[in-house]
Amino acid sequence: MSELNTAEAPGNKQRVVILGGGTAGWMTAAALVRLLPHACTVRLVESAEIGIVGVGEATLPHLRAFVESLGIDEADFMRATHATFKLGIDFRDFGKIGDSYIHPFGDFGRELNGVDFHHYWLRMRAAGRQDDLFDYSVANVMAASKRFAPPSTDPGSLLSAYGYAYQFDATLFGPYLRAYAEKRGARRTEGKVVNVEVNPETGDLAALRMESGERVEGDLFVDCSGFISLLLGRTLGEEWEDWSHWLPCDRAVALPCTSPPGPIEPYTRATAMEAGWRWRIPLQHRVGNGYVYSSSHISDDAAADALVASVEGRPMADPRVLKFRAGRRRRSWVKNVVAVGLASGFLEPLESTSIYLVQAAITQLVELFPSGRVEEADRREYNRLVDLEYDRIRDFLILHYHATTRDDSSFWNHVRTMEVPDSLAEKMELFRHAGRVAKYTQGLFLQPSWIAVYVGQGIVPHGWDQRAEAARPDRLGAAMDSLRREIQQAVASLPDHREFIARRNAAVSETS
Amino acid sequence: MSLGEERAIRSIVVVGAGIVGVSAAMSFIRALPRVRVSIIEVPPDPAALADRLTGSLPAIGAFHAMVGVDELDLVRGGAATHHLGTRFERWSADGEPWYHAFGEYGTAGGRAAFHQLWARAQRAKQALPYYRYSMAAVLAEAGKFVHPSDELNSPFSSFNYALRIDPDRYHAELVARAQTLPLSHMQAEIGGVQRTENGGVSALLLKDGHRVEADLFIDCAGPSAPVASALSERFEDWGESLPCDRLLLGSSKAGQFSSSDLAAATSVGWRWASPLGGRQMVGLAYASSVTGEARARRVLASEAGVEEAEAVAIRTGRRPEPWTHNVLAVGDAAIAVDALQGVNLHLAQSAIRRALELLPGRDCHPLELREYNRRTKQETRRVRDFLALHYLRSGRSKGELWQALAARSLPNSLAHSVEQFEARGRLPFYEEESFDKQSWLAVLIGIGLLPRQVDPIAAALREDEAAAWMQRMADGITQEAARVPPYRDYLGRMLQPPTRRG
Ligand SMILES: Cc1cc2nc3c(=O)[nH]c(=O)nc-3n(C[C@H](O)[C@H](O)[C@H](O)COP(=O)(O)OP(=O)(O)OC[C@H]3O[C@@H](n4cnc5c(N)ncnc54)[C@H](O)[C@@H]3O)c2cc1C
Repeated sequence: MSELNTAEAPGNKQRVVILGGGTAGWMTAAALVRLLPHACTVRLVESAEIGIVGVGEATLPHLRAFVESLGIDEADFMRATHATFKLGIDFRDFGKIGDSYIHPFGDFGRELNGVDFHHYWLRMRAAGRQDDLFDYSVANVMAASKRFAPPSTDPGSLLSAYGYAYQFDATLFGPYLRAYAEKRGARRTEGKVVNVEVNPETGDLAALRMESGERVEGDLFVDCSGFISLLLGRTLGEEWEDWSHWLPCDRAVALPCTSPPGPIEPYTRATAMEAGWRWRIPLQHRVGNGYVYSSSHISDDAAADALVASVEGRPMADPRVLKFRAGRRRRSWVKNVVAVGLASGFLEPLESTSIYLVQAAITQLVELFPSGRVEEADRREYNRLVDLEYDRIRDFLILHYHATTRDDSSFWNHVRTMEVPDSLAEKMELFRHAGRVAKYTQGLFLQPSWIAVYVGQGIVPHGWDQRAEAARPDRLGAAMDSLRREIQQAVASLPDHREFIARRNAAVSETS
Repeated sequence: MSLGEERAIRSIVVVGAGIVGVSAAMSFIRALPRVRVSIIEVPPDPAALADRLTGSLPAIGAFHAMVGVDELDLVRGGAATHHLGTRFERWSADGEPWYHAFGEYGTAGGRAAFHQLWARAQRAKQALPYYRYSMAAVLAEAGKFVHPSDELNSPFSSFNYALRIDPDRYHAELVARAQTLPLSHMQAEIGGVQRTENGGVSALLLKDGHRVEADLFIDCAGPSAPVASALSERFEDWGESLPCDRLLLGSSKAGQFSSSDLAAATSVGWRWASPLGGRQMVGLAYASSVTGEARARRVLASEAGVEEAEAVAIRTGRRPEPWTHNVLAVGDAAIAVDALQGVNLHLAQSAIRRALELLPGRDCHPLELREYNRRTKQETRRVRDFLALHYLRSGRSKGELWQALAARSLPNSLAHSVEQFEARGRLPFYEEESFDKQSWLAVLIGIGLLPRQVDPIAAALREDEAAAWMQRMADGITQEAARVPPYRDYLGRMLQPPTRRG
C-alpha cells in the first residue's frame, strides 16, 4: 500500500539548521532528509577544528530500527563502520569483586501459565535447585560462547527471544551518515560559529554567525554542539539539572587498542574499578577501552595508569581524558531550539544509552515537527517525553552502583551507602519482596533488564509469584533441565561471531 | 514448610456471587489450587453494574481462556453473542452516526498514518465517514459477524471482537462451571468485620452469627462494598467528568441478532440497546442534577418504547486504594462508571488478572499492594478519560444535559490527549490503556474533532493519489463485507454439530 507518491515540494519549508557534526548532528540530518524531505531543508554546521567527542561505540537494539528507517543496508553499514554485533553487556565485579553477569538483550526462559519464568526459578532455587538464571537466556548463552546469528523470525522458536545492537567506530558512524545525508540534499558548512543572533522581539534564534563572517539563517535550530551546548545552554541559558550526587563519575580516559587474535566477543564488557568502571568494546579492527571515573575519588594520572595496566592488546594512541557531568538541561526544546545529544544532557555510558537518547529525541522531533511557528503544546510534549526517558535511565544506572556489597574503596563506599531516588528505592524493595518489577511499557529497560541487574548483582527476592507453586517440583525441574539443554543445543548450532561478520563483509564486497 | 508456603496466602473469601464474584473465585482457585476459596453469596446490589450489563471488551477471550470457559459453549447456551462495535447516534455536532468498532480503521499509507490522510481528505471534503474504512465497523453497521482471520493479508484479519453477554444466562453458565471446582459456597449477609491489630480484617461476622476467617477477602459485592467500606470510606468522585448518575434498565421484545449495539445521545443523557436475539436490553443514563426521574422515563418511553424500567442510582468514581491490607475490592466495589462503552465487566476481569499477577504474601505488605494500586489507578483514570471524552467534548449542544456540561473542564490527562490530537492528530502514550489508539481515534473523530495540522509525512503525499487509494480501500471493504452472510446464518452454521466440520 505504500505506492503513494509524494507531491511536488510545497513552498514553505522549514529551514532547519543543525549545529554540530558529531553522531547526534549527522543522525538528525540523516533522519530529517529521509523522513521529512517535504517539510524542511537541512543545513549542518560543524567545525573540524573543534572536532567531535569521538567516543560512543556501544549501542542498544533500538538503533536497528533507526538504520532500517533510513533504508540503510545493515551489512554495508556494519562493514563501513567496522561494526560488530552486541548481545548485551558483561558486568564484572559490580555486585562484589569476582562477580560476573551478562545483561542480555533478551528474555529469561519462557513464561508458563501466564507466570514469568524467573518466579519458577526462584521457587526451585529455594527448594535447593542450584542453577544460574542466566543459563535460561539465549542471548546470554550465545554471548558467552561468542557466537552470533540474527534472531529467528518464527516467534515459536527459542532463537527468536533476543535482540541485538551494534558496536561501531564512533569516528566512522558520523561520516557514514554524512555521506547519506549529503546525497539526499543536506548542506554542510564547515567553520566555527562565533556568535548567535537572537530576534529581540520573540527571543527566537535568527541566525548563526560564522568565523568567516557568513550568516546562517534558519527557522528551527537543532543544537548538536556537544557538551558546550552552544545554543540551548550558552545562548538561551537553559538551566542545568545536576545528577552527580547519584552518578558521581565525571571523567573518562579512553584508549583504543589492537584486537587480540581469536574470537570477537559479541558483547561489551564493563568492569568495575576502584573509582568507577572500565569499558571494553570489541570492534572488527580494534578494541575500544576507557575508564569512567569520579575525579573526586581518583586523579587523572592514576586513572590513566590503571587503564593502561588493565588493557589487553597494544595501545593505538595516547590515553585521552574527557570531562562531563551527569544531568540534563531542564528543557531540551526552548523557543526554536531543540537540543539533541550531549548538548541536551548526559548520562554516563554504563548502559550505552546516549545514542539511544539521540535517536529517541529525533523520533519525537519528527513526530512533533512544526509546520509553521513552533507551538507551545508541541514543545511541552517533547520535553515531557525527554524527561520520561532520562528519569527511567537514571534510576536504572544508579541501581548498578547501589546494588553492591563492595567496600574496598571510598568510591564504592559512597555509592553503596548514598541515598537513592525514592522511585528507585521502591523498585528495589518491590523486587526484593517477591521478584516483581514495577511495570511500564514505554521507555527503555523493561522487565528482563531489571531482573538481569537485580539478580546479577545479588538482589535475590525473598518470595515469588504464588502461582509458581502450582506446578509439581519434579516436573518443573525436568522442564527446566530440558529448556536449558535446548538453549545450549540451539546456540551450539550457530556460527562463530567473527566468522559470521567475515562472511557478511565478503558478501557486501561482492555485490558492491 | 518451605519459604514459599510460609509466605503464601492459604485462604480466600470472595464476597458477592454475581458474575464478578464467581469469576474471581474461579480465577483464583484455578491459578492457586492449594488455596481454599469460598464464596459468600450476599444479597445482590442493584447498582453492581458489572454483574448486570451486557458489555465486554475483546480481552474477555483471554479471560475466558484463563478460567476455562469456552466461547462456543456460551454462544450455544444463549449466554453470549458476538460484538464487533457500537453505533453512536447524535453524539456529534452534525448528528451523523458513527461506529466504534474493535478493529483497525484504514491501513497506513507507507509511513503516513491513515487517520492523518483521512483528516486531510476530510478537510477537502473528499473523505467518506471514518468508520467506512474499518472492516469491523462496516460489518457492525450491517449487523454481521465473522471470526477474524489469522491470515495476515485477509481482509478479515484487521479486527477483534468482544462478547455481548446475557447477564442471567452468563451467570448461570459460570455457576455451572464453578460447581465443578472445589469452591465452597454459602448464603449470608455481612453484619460486620473483625479487625486485626495492624488494621486488616481477621474475620467477617455474618448476620446469622457465624464468623468467617481468611487470609484475603475479595469484595465483589458492588458499590456498597460491605467489607472494603469497613476499612475505608474514601472515594474519588468523578461526577464532574462522568455526570450520569442514574440508569433506567429495561428490556424490549424487538431485536434481531446483531454484532452491533446502539448508543444514542438524547437531550437528558444517552440510551442504549443491546440485542440478545428475541429481546434486547435497553437503558437510559441521565444526570439527576439536571433531569428528574419522571422526565427520564418519558424520554425512554418515547425513544425506545419501553415503559417498564428499573431505576438504579450510581455514583461515578473509584476507591483510591482498591487493595487495602488484606481486602481487595473488585468490580463496582472498586470503580463505578455508567454503561458507556460497556467497560464495567472488563474492568473487573482486568482487576482479577492483575491481582493474580501481583498476589502479595499473606502479610499483604504495603509495598506489594502499592504496585497493584498504582497500576489500577493508571488503568481506571484512563477509562474515566475515555468515557469523559464522550460527555465533555461531544459536538452535541442540544438538550439540557449537554448544555449543563458545556462549561466543564477536562481532567488534565484527557485535556492533554485532546490537545495533542487537535493540534496535529497525535495521541500521547499512556500506560495501562483499556482502549487502544484505534478506539481513541474512532471516538475523537466520531464526536467531530479534527486536527488543525496534518502531520508532515502525510502532508507530503499527493492528495489525488491518496484520495483514489482511500476510495479503493473503502470499496474493497464494502465488497468483502457484502459477501459475509447475515449474523443469524453465521451463528446457525457455527452452532451446527461438529460432525459437519473438517
Ligand atoms: C566517555 C564517553 C563514552 C561514551 N560511550 C558511549 C557509548 O558507549 N554508547 C553511547 O551510545 N554513547 C556513548 N557516549 C556518548 C556519545 O559519545 C554521544 O552521545 C555521541 O557521540 C553524540 O555526541 P554529540 O554529537 O552530541 O557531540 P559531539 O560529538 O561532541 O559533537 C559536537 C559537534 O558540534 C560541533 N561544534 C561545537 N561547537 C561548535 C562551534 N562553535 N562551531 C561549529 N561547530 C561546533 C563540533 O565540531 C562537533 O561537530 C559516550 C560519551 C562519553 C563522554
